[in-house]
Amino acid sequence: MPASPEPPAADDEAPPGQGLAIAAESLYLVNLLLLPGLAFLALLWLYFRHRDDAPPLARGHLRQTLSASLWAGILLVIANLTIIALGGYDAPWTWVVVILYFTAAHTTLIVLGIVGLARALAGQPYRYPLVGKLLP
Amino acid sequence: MQLQYKSQAVAKPYFIAAIALFVGQILFGLILGLQYVVGDFLFPAIPFNIARMVHTNLLIVWLLFGFMGAAYYLVPEETETELHSPLLAHLLFWIFLAAGALTVVGYLMVPYASLAQMTGNDMLETMGREFLEQPLPTKLGIVVVALAFLYNIGMTILKGRKTAISIILLTGLVGLAVLFLFAFYNPSNLVKDKYYWWWVVHLWVEGVWELILGAILGFVLLKITGVDREVIEKWLYVIITLTLVTGIIGTGHHYYWIGAPGYWQWWGSIFSALEPIPFFAMTVFCFNMVNRRRRQHPNKAATLWALGTGVMAFLGAGVWGFLHTLAPVNYYTHGTQITAAHGHMAFYGAYVMVVLTIISYAMPILRGREVNPERSQVLEMWSFWLMTVSMVFITLFLTAAGILQVWLQRIIPNPQSFMAVQDQLAMFYWLRWLAGVVFMIGLVVYLYSFFAKDKPQTAEASEAQPAAT
Repeated sequence: MPASPEPPAADDEAPPGQGLAIAAESLYLVNLLLLPGLAFLALLWLYFRHRDDAPPLARGHLRQTLSASLWAGILLVIANLTIIALGGYDAPWTWVVVILYFTAAHTTLIVLGIVGLARALAGQPYRYPLVGKLLP
Repeated sequence: MQLQYKSQAVAKPYFIAAIALFVGQILFGLILGLQYVVGDFLFPAIPFNIARMVHTNLLIVWLLFGFMGAAYYLVPEETETELHSPLLAHLLFWIFLAAGALTVVGYLMVPYASLAQMTGNDMLETMGREFLEQPLPTKLGIVVVALAFLYNIGMTILKGRKTAISIILLTGLVGLAVLFLFAFYNPSNLVKDKYYWWWVVHLWVEGVWELILGAILGFVLLKITGVDREVIEKWLYVIITLTLVTGIIGTGHHYYWIGAPGYWQWWGSIFSALEPIPFFAMTVFCFNMVNRRRRQHPNKAATLWALGTGVMAFLGAGVWGFLHTLAPVNYYTHGTQITAAHGHMAFYGAYVMVVLTIISYAMPILRGREVNPERSQVLEMWSFWLMTVSMVFITLFLTAAGILQVWLQRIIPNPQSFMAVQDQLAMFYWLRWLAGVVFMIGLVVYLYSFFAKDKPQTAEASEAQPAAT
């Protein structure tokens, strides 16, 4: 098999905006894992504080994580409440669907966040599939 | 391509045996899956309890073969010296294989109680406990093999370069051997029995095996990404620290309902709730290393297995473990199909995949080439997706069965009996079995990938393409 071209060597010097990108991805994950709501507010504050003056790398990660967090709210809170409201609190199948759906959706969002964080740590942009926005 | 150290070649039979036993494990898994819904399938030739014992014991044995093969392959490269004794490694291979095969034949041919009588269980009663069902001579054989293996690996590391990867691997292997000694301690007090039984079972898979996992993954990522060793070692230190801090006291999540003191409900809940963190870090580690790679290694299949290990270990061990680890939740879910769901995905994601990762990386080199041909790699990646996606479905179907089981058996005002509930879970068991068949197909594709060759190119195509560099 022919060897693929060498990828750009990882630079020891951090690209501009990497710290902010890492902070955005971390807050996205903290919102999903530890402090739902509070971490989202912090991410929101970071977004509005830096959306105009941040370097492109950070701006991309801020936009992506904010968009993905908003989708997470819809997919995890609103969708589950709707399933419970429609299926009934006392029905076993409601809980089969809710627990399976919540676990699958929540885990998928976390794995996407891990990939996003790894990209930020490597100083690279990342677009969340389905729940992200196009990079500028 | 030649091996850097000739003695690395001893890893090859270990990997071949591991894969052969893996096939056996999955075949018995399919038999078991069918027995859930067709109760007398293959009865009385292979009763359910025997099939289950073979399924789980084969898993443990083939993973041990994989770990030993991995150690024999990576330690010479890490220490920059030949193995202390390749002859001993070969000898141990045949002893371990013979002991394993005889044990499985014993399970299948002799009633378990008779097997216990025949193998001297009266002298030292160690049989009859889940996962530690092996007859006394097999257990003693495991100890002898483990000690001789540790001697061989330890002496090699002592005489060569010491790296974080080899030291972490050795620590994990020593822990594995030492903790297995608790398989010989079988107190008559049932609480104490279960208490120390978990020192083998839990402290293996949520303790020392994770060190072995980290070392193997670190080695493969080092080779395929070309990232600085210092970076990989720093990540490994963090992962190993998190593993031990959370995993050791996390043993408490097995002590909730066995008669141990009540404080274990707090300790177990808190520390095991933290157990997903090392797996989270491991996933970030894998993706981070691949993103920062300094070279594009042509073994795409090994890269895929390495990334898959991070993700699936996090899902199976981390997420599905957390799902039922808090004492108030576990009060309802204990011993249901939710546990089976967690067990399947955690073992596959963490340990099956890491062994397949090192096999994917090392086997082509052991066969004299840097990587497998393109077609072979494509087939291997197909097998990755078939096995991984089917394992996700196996886990989801078992989780669904578990939720319904908890509801019918433990939540409703008039709880139903275990067997009455099992009947109502049949649909999920059938779906799980179908997913298992797809897993088997994936495994067949995996086996075939070892023998696949690239199709000969036509003269026109050869002219159109530049020569490989």
